[in-house]
Amino acid sequence: MLDLALSSMMSSPVYLLAQDAAAEVTEATGESFSYTSLANQALNGIGIVGILLLTALGLAITFGVMRIINLAHGEFIMLGAYITFWMQDTFGMDLLLTIPFAFVGTALVGALVELTIIRRLYGRPLETLLATWGLSIVLQGIIKLIFTAQLKYVKAPAYLSGSIDLMTDETGSVLISMSYYRSFIVVVALALLGITMFLFYGTSWGRQIRAVTQNRSMSQCLGVNTKLIDMGTFAYGCGLAGIAGTVISALKTVSPPMGQDYLVDSWMVVVTGGVDKLVGILAGAFLIGESNAIIAFLLNDPTARVLVLGAVIVLIRYRPEGLFTVQKRS
Amino acid sequence: MSNVVMGYKQSTFPKKLAAISGIALLIFIILPFVIGSFQLSLLSKLLLFGTLAVTLDLVWGFTGILSFAHGIFFTLGGYASAYYLKLNLSAENNTYGGELPDFMVWNGLEVLPWFIAPLKYFPVAFLAVIGVPALFAYITGSFIFRSKVSGVYITIITLALSSALTTFFISQQAYTGGTNGITDVSKLSVFGVNIPPIGIYFLILAYTVFVLALSLWLTQSNFGLILRSINENENRIAFLGYDVAQYKIFIWTLSAALAGMAGGLFVPLNRFISPVYLAVAFGTQVVIWVAIGGRGTLIGPLAAAMILGQVQNSAEKVTQDWQLVVGILLLVVVLFIPNGLMSLLPKQLRFSNLSKPKPLPGAAASAPVVPPEMASEPKPEAAQRSS
Repeated sequence: MLDLALSSMMSSPVYLLAQDAAAEVTEATGESFSYTSLANQALNGIGIVGILLLTALGLAITFGVMRIINLAHGEFIMLGAYITFWMQDTFGMDLLLTIPFAFVGTALVGALVELTIIRRLYGRPLETLLATWGLSIVLQGIIKLIFTAQLKYVKAPAYLSGSIDLMTDETGSVLISMSYYRSFIVVVALALLGITMFLFYGTSWGRQIRAVTQNRSMSQCLGVNTKLIDMGTFAYGCGLAGIAGTVISALKTVSPPMGQDYLVDSWMVVVTGGVDKLVGILAGAFLIGESNAIIAFLLNDPTARVLVLGAVIVLIRYRPEGLFTVQKRS
Repeated sequence: MSNVVMGYKQSTFPKKLAAISGIALLIFIILPFVIGSFQLSLLSKLLLFGTLAVTLDLVWGFTGILSFAHGIFFTLGGYASAYYLKLNLSAENNTYGGELPDFMVWNGLEVLPWFIAPLKYFPVAFLAVIGVPALFAYITGSFIFRSKVSGVYITIITLALSSALTTFFISQQAYTGGTNGITDVSKLSVFGVNIPPIGIYFLILAYTVFVLALSLWLTQSNFGLILRSINENENRIAFLGYDVAQYKIFIWTLSAALAGMAGGLFVPLNRFISPVYLAVAFGTQVVIWVAIGGRGTLIGPLAAAMILGQVQNSAEKVTQDWQLVVGILLLVVVLFIPNGLMSLLPKQLRFSNLSKPKPLPGAAASAPVVPPEMASEPKPEAAQRSS
């Protein structure tokens, strides 16, 4: 779960990157093999799956449906987290209550971005990629100006702390458990996936989106306002990223470069699952999250990450359309 | 140099280019004697970063492969060079007296690993500085380019590569020094004599000139023409019978070797190497230089890297938000000046015009025949055709 973000590259070499890595290595090793700890790790993996699913969902919309190479995806997650932080800080709001605001806030920013930047670059993927990278730098810079570069902390609601004990031994000590918050993340992720699928496959708005992606000029002829649909879809994807930011903010610290951590992972999930069907990202998140957790348990964390990334590279090489896409004749 | 077009044997020696680059070179030769030692080391560093940007321009600007992985090649070369310098530390300078580098002692290694030990010798190290990145590029290149994978997916693969390698280098603390990388290396010396900073500067300057000249020659040749056609329309070039993958793999490997050498020169100058330069962030920095400077202009990326680096150096004393400025600049360039800042230069001053007075034999059939005495004057139509 680590990737690095260094704000100024050339000046300081001692921007130390992966405290996570070192910490998690020691955690994973030195433990004898047992099925309960494997099961624990698998459950841990479910938590990772939840996070991956949540962060990749927005990207599945912007890249999967609209084919926009959005490298600023992580920054929309970051925006959501900052909205939550700000509302909690000034109004003392509960984390759950800030979710709609994070959604609307990031969706508005997304709509603005679509209107000013993305719209000019349709059909030019590499330019879009560069522009969104520039955008990500700008968004980070602006947030840094407003909130400074300090780490911020968001409180998780009290009723979501603690964990469910799934299995205890005779003496009553816990063998397998899952924290409420991780389960909460999984539930939110699945719920959002469900809502999105309903929107896409069950409403006329979704039908219009699919029509536009399949044949833009034809849908224009049929009177679909394609520009509005584009803007709405992009804004919706960004809004989802905002919700992801809110939910994740309580798990880790909030800082301007935090979005970078999720960028590469979200991309891997979307690319693995394939972009044809939204269900693909559920499969992608599950594969990546679980294999990460299991390999990390058997070997160690960095190795797991390297192996999983390597596997994804091989996968892209042989099946760029993703694992769960029906082969089409084109 | 001469070129036979339509029966004329015309001189194609690029006089203007020679004059301008001569003046530029002269400035860079005089400069180190005028500026202070801090500025000198900054200038050397920026020249190397500029060279790195030029190598990326070869694969991106000319061939159309956008790579975030050029930091990888740079860093691989850098590590090879750092092992060499570290292993050649004299015993009294080494923290633990012995032959073993300090970070290996900290991590409990007792003998030098067999794959690092040969790097103590200069020829091996020199080969490794070029060979390791080139080999890595060749392997990844053969793997990626011989498939139906296209543009954007290749970019995503390079992102994943960069991310994976960074994790790998950080995790292998005993061999790579972890997040700190390899620090406190010895000074570069020849036959026991330390090379002063100004010597390293000239070494780097020579290398920069070499890379520029090589890239220029390569891109102006028929080979370069094929590269540019791959960028324009890959399928058509494949239909004409060219093995597109072979060309891509070649330029990818060559560019990696050149980038690796830049990394190899970076370590004697900077005195350390760390996974920072492997990371996606550094890779994107290189991409930004090329994008802002102008793709396919060679001199543009070099200039952009050097100017942005200079400005950043002064701006960081005033404001912490320099990155914001870079981001805005990148956005503006991508949206409004898609060919980079070099395209804002007046036509006569552009690199391609200065260097290429000759209409290509194929284009010459339709372009008006240029009398020999006018050969060095760039013709606007011919220039547009070729750019």
